[in-house]
Amino acid sequence: MKYPRLISEGSVWIVATIPSIWAGHFLLCYWVAAVWCAKFSGTVPASLTTPRWIIAALTALSLGAIAFLAYRALHSYGGTFSVENEINQNTSHDRKRFLGHVSLLLAALSAIAICFTAAPALVFARCW
Amino acid sequence: MCLPGCSGRHYWFSGASEEAQSIETLAWILFAGAGVIWLIVMALAFFAMRSSGRSNTEKSARRMILWGGFAFPTVVLAALLGTGLLTLKSIVAERSDLTLEVEGEQWWWRVGYPGGVVTANEVRLPRGRTAEILLTADDVIHSFWAPALGGKIDMIPGRENRLTLTPTTVGNWGGLCAEYCGGAHAQMRFNVIVMEPDAFDAWLEDEAAPAQPESGPGLEAFLGEGCGACHTIRGTEAQGLVGPDLTHFGARTSLGAGILALDRDTLRHWITHTDTLKPGVKMPAYPDIPTEELEDMIDYLLSLT
Repeated sequence: MKYPRLISEGSVWIVATIPSIWAGHFLLCYWVAAVWCAKFSGTVPASLTTPRWIIAALTALSLGAIAFLAYRALHSYGGTFSVENEINQNTSHDRKRFLGHVSLLLAALSAIAICFTAAPALVFARCW
Repeated sequence: MCLPGCSGRHYWFSGASEEAQSIETLAWILFAGAGVIWLIVMALAFFAMRSSGRSNTEKSARRMILWGGFAFPTVVLAALLGTGLLTLKSIVAERSDLTLEVEGEQWWWRVGYPGGVVTANEVRLPRGRTAEILLTADDVIHSFWAPALGGKIDMIPGRENRLTLTPTTVGNWGGLCAEYCGGAHAQMRFNVIVMEPDAFDAWLEDEAAPAQPESGPGLEAFLGEGCGACHTIRGTEAQGLVGPDLTHFGARTSLGAGILALDRDTLRHWITHTDTLKPGVKMPAYPDIPTEELEDMIDYLLSLT
């Protein structure tokens, strides 16, 4: 039996990678804002202009990566967004489709969460 | 246990500041929204119990998950996040008319005003002016909370947190430490006295003046017992920084960090049996102080208005 390679069709890597991008985005946004405010605020709050651009770039990168993985899930794995199709056969084909389906749902969840994480940067212009 | 927070000077829906009013509006939106969602869920549960299985049950269930478990929560959470962020932005003032420094100690509050005025356990604020309160702690983590005025912010040693308050209602509001900080945590209270701006300015001017009177047998007794090692009375030799500043002690409304009414008998009991009123307090009791000396000291302290 030939097992799928780590980075190839049929591997579960895509399922783990998508929420990991969300986690990485969250961590980096948090670090950027916290370190910036700790380093550059004194008695006067520091402006968040630079961190806002960094967070915007991180958000664009993360959403781009998730869009690419969603595309892979759609085309390479045959995934579908629809929750009305049954994917329950014990075949390699259905296994791939199931991974694609789960990846697409995780991509939607992660994309929304990334937007939520970035939302405060749109609203606040200074550290406090 | 909930009742003390449902009326009076600690009532969290008093709306005694602009910030508290904003948070109250948000709270009512959340309560109403949660109520509607609860009713919908209960109605669906009732419907599910009463209905018989139909051929399209599986399809309906999947759609229910898609709309009820994904689309609806996403929209509701996005709306809540947006409302919460905008509310938070509105209550963090761009500028303030007054800056105070409040430091939490076991188990009392050191309150600093512009011009080097330091008091204890009483935060006086002018109505209609935005005050920025810089919060820190000296020993362990405390939390500054005046429920009627909103805002509860932790006070962390080595760090300065900020709270903005714009009081709208004149009154004597209650405050307390909201983070367990040791044995007498529950006895670490304070008063927030909101005054008309003119009255506040006059009070601050009086408070900046040194103690009156600056001499007498009461002060001699105070210094003779070594109280000046821990307490400051501006204008005298007493310059200690361990305990509360007593320069205008007689003008305060409470004793022992908001837990006791300030009167002659209570003050006598506080000096002679401090630990029985506030277990664990750092101030030692003075049970052996001669009666005449004690009465002179009490006269003197109550005259410091």
